[in-house]
Amino acid sequence: MGSPKAALEWHGSTLLRRVTGIVSRGVDGRVVVVRAPGQPLPALPPCISVLDDPAEGRGPLQGIAVGLAALADEAETAFVCSTDLPLLHPAFVRRVTRDADGADVVLPVVGGHRQPLAACYRTAMAGYAGGLVAADRLRPAFLQEGTVVVELDDAALLSDPTLSRLDPDLDSVCGVNSPEDYAAARDRPAPEVTVQRFGVLARSGDRDRGAARAATLAAAAQAVGLTLSRQILAALNGDQMSRDPELPLVRGDVVAFLSADAGG
Amino acid sequence: MEQPEAGRSRVPGGYFGRALVVDVGDGSTRVLPLPERVLRDHLGGVGLGTWLLTELGPPGVDPLSPEAPLAFVFSPLVGTPLTTSAKFAVLAKSPLTGLLTDALASSHFALSGKLTGHDALVLVGRAVRPSVLSIHGSEVTLSSAGAEWGSSAAAAEAAVRRRLGGGWQVASIGPAGERGVAYATISHDGRHAGRGGLGAVMGSKNLKAVAVHATTKVAPADPAGVLAAAKDLRARSLGSATAKYRELGTMANVLAFNALSTLPTRNFQEAVFEGAPQLGAQELAQARGVTRSSCASCSIGCEHLYRDKGGRKVRMEHQNVSALGPMCGVSDPDAVLAASARCDELGIDTISAGGTIAWAMECVERGLLDVPWLRFGDGAAVLRALDEIGSGVGIGPLLARGSRAAAGVVGQGSLELAAQVKGLELPGYEPRTMQAMALGMAVNARGADHNRSGAYEADLSGDLDRLAGGVEHVRGAIESEDRAAVMDSMILCSFLRKVFDDPFAQWAQLLSLVTGWDLDAGELRATAQRIVLAKRAYNLREGWQPEDDWLPERFLSSTLTVGSGRTAALTAERLRDMVSGYYAARGLGADGRPERTVVP
Repeated sequence: MGSPKAALEWHGSTLLRRVTGIVSRGVDGRVVVVRAPGQPLPALPPCISVLDDPAEGRGPLQGIAVGLAALADEAETAFVCSTDLPLLHPAFVRRVTRDADGADVVLPVVGGHRQPLAACYRTAMAGYAGGLVAADRLRPAFLQEGTVVVELDDAALLSDPTLSRLDPDLDSVCGVNSPEDYAAARDRPAPEVTVQRFGVLARSGDRDRGAARAATLAAAAQAVGLTLSRQILAALNGDQMSRDPELPLVRGDVVAFLSADAGG
Repeated sequence: MEQPEAGRSRVPGGYFGRALVVDVGDGSTRVLPLPERVLRDHLGGVGLGTWLLTELGPPGVDPLSPEAPLAFVFSPLVGTPLTTSAKFAVLAKSPLTGLLTDALASSHFALSGKLTGHDALVLVGRAVRPSVLSIHGSEVTLSSAGAEWGSSAAAAEAAVRRRLGGGWQVASIGPAGERGVAYATISHDGRHAGRGGLGAVMGSKNLKAVAVHATTKVAPADPAGVLAAAKDLRARSLGSATAKYRELGTMANVLAFNALSTLPTRNFQEAVFEGAPQLGAQELAQARGVTRSSCASCSIGCEHLYRDKGGRKVRMEHQNVSALGPMCGVSDPDAVLAASARCDELGIDTISAGGTIAWAMECVERGLLDVPWLRFGDGAAVLRALDEIGSGVGIGPLLARGSRAAAGVVGQGSLELAAQVKGLELPGYEPRTMQAMALGMAVNARGADHNRSGAYEADLSGDLDRLAGGVEHVRGAIESEDRAAVMDSMILCSFLRKVFDDPFAQWAQLLSLVTGWDLDAGELRATAQRIVLAKRAYNLREGWQPEDDWLPERFLSSTLTVGSGRTAALTAERLRDMVSGYYAARGLGADGRPERTVVP
């Protein structure tokens, strides 16, 4: 594809920035990126931890082992995914991690295909994963051997009403594995979001919710004629405040722009 | 211009170096010299007022007794051309909290009051009959309040000005202050020293009004420098940092807060109000028309006056809309306008009035109070409750105590429903979804307060998770408290705060030009800490206990859900951690008591 997947552009951001941001929205704890030793990465927010694989060329299972080990002291389970999922939705992450009780692996099976790189793992499996790598058994699927695996098929995934509404085709697992995949992904429109403006950012009568296509906060601002600045920030779905232009947006998001002096 | 002198020491620019202490029982006065060290350590306004209360107030004094001081305190910036500096602070021991209360008001009373030749006017004693106190320089006169006793604060102000003639500025109380309503206000020119019952303190002294007349002038140390700084500040005050206040006023918060699940609704049972869209600034402006007004010496012009059905202009702010609208479940803008106007007429704090009425409404809903007409959503019921508070009939005497004291009468667990800290009702900020603000409201000396702690700025900054209070929230709350301590003492309007990108350094520069002191940011930060701790020390003397730095149980045991579906929970453990972090950062002991070495 001409450049590392992590740095591929998708509607104004990089795949890595987008996927880490979406995972952050779907989980409670820290997000860890595991890279090849010294691999250059696109810019990430400071809250994202970056770790190195101990060796080159050992595949994703090594990264899983490193990531699970890093989180073992602070979380029972972790959502694990590859960087090439531009359509990943936080509702998918939440749905998959919700059924983690008692399981070593919660494995989505979408359209009959297992998705070990969009799955939830018990962090205590870090040692087991490391052992597989040491034994040159490098396929993530080996993690399912001898462990308690809960499979979630399409129906099980879509039983979640939020996921069913926001990602009915389970596009969350659409990966970018070839130039053709990437081209197809880029042809997909940016997610449909709702943009609101409050206070002095709203002219009388046009505060009402408006639909826009935007994959980032900057694009949502641009859609309503605003530019993010020290004086303007946004609330995402009535929750966190941000002025990060690359904050990834997904289908169904509601973005409320406020002037930064809100509150006084 | 010749600078005044206090004793043998030269007085710094912008000051007179003295306070006038008036015993309104017999009209006697004395001049209290204010040494330069005291002025430099406490600046003026809230800081100097705290020092005066500590020095002049007998420990343990009944707030409504003759011995309790009521201080009107000016600042070194009053009278300079610096925008928004025409403000004054009023301080007393609060009849609502039993602790220190301080409130700011604005405009010409500040200018004329200071130019009586005093940095503060401190009133003690009790007049033998309802009176008006007139201060013309050092000449003090007590005259009968006459027919003004019983009138609204605005009517009394107008009548006293007519009676005294040109050049007089008047601060007055309404009927609620006369009756000792624990959250009565002192008013001047439509603005109110609102929180904590200062009007009741003034009423307890049998004072309907205080009139002041300028007799002198005061010069800054560097007049040309101040003029240049004033021009620069004025230009910056017209920029985007104050656009919200100019264009919409604080009413802009109502819909934004609703979208953020931070709009207290039905006595904090919810944080999103379905009727909020009817109370938005722009919607109200379209429906009712709006005009703008400014305090003296202000280039922002934040005041937005909406017309009610009768054509009267009513000043509307986020806080009175929040307290008298969503808190009481009222979405009818006419009812909220009418309730705001009624609070002004009676001279009561809209936040405490709305908070206490909302508490009573929930008590009725839960069968703890037998007042069937007092129901959430009924604007007429809010008006009736306000009238009964002002006139002392029906449910009024109970509600006039404030929610904490009223809950003490009602019992049956109703204290848990009272949204107050230290007895002061919460302003329009939901602590579960603004957890830096939760800390700010818990530990502030005045009680649940949004002026002396603007920690909501940290919550809305995008720099921290407002639903997960922690170390960063402590830092945000302290920074906000420190900034407010300086702004409220020097005094500049807090609506100007975003204009300063390096505030302590820039404030030090302004103060240096006015006073002639060689101030820097470090000294001002130390001053802020000193003022915050001085308030705490005063409260400690008056009976503060560690459990006073806490939030009501409702906020710690029930959760809210925000728009994303995330749960907002503020647990006792989390709040305890933040309070402990605050104490440590302030250099306080583990129980929040100032160590001897840090008491100013």
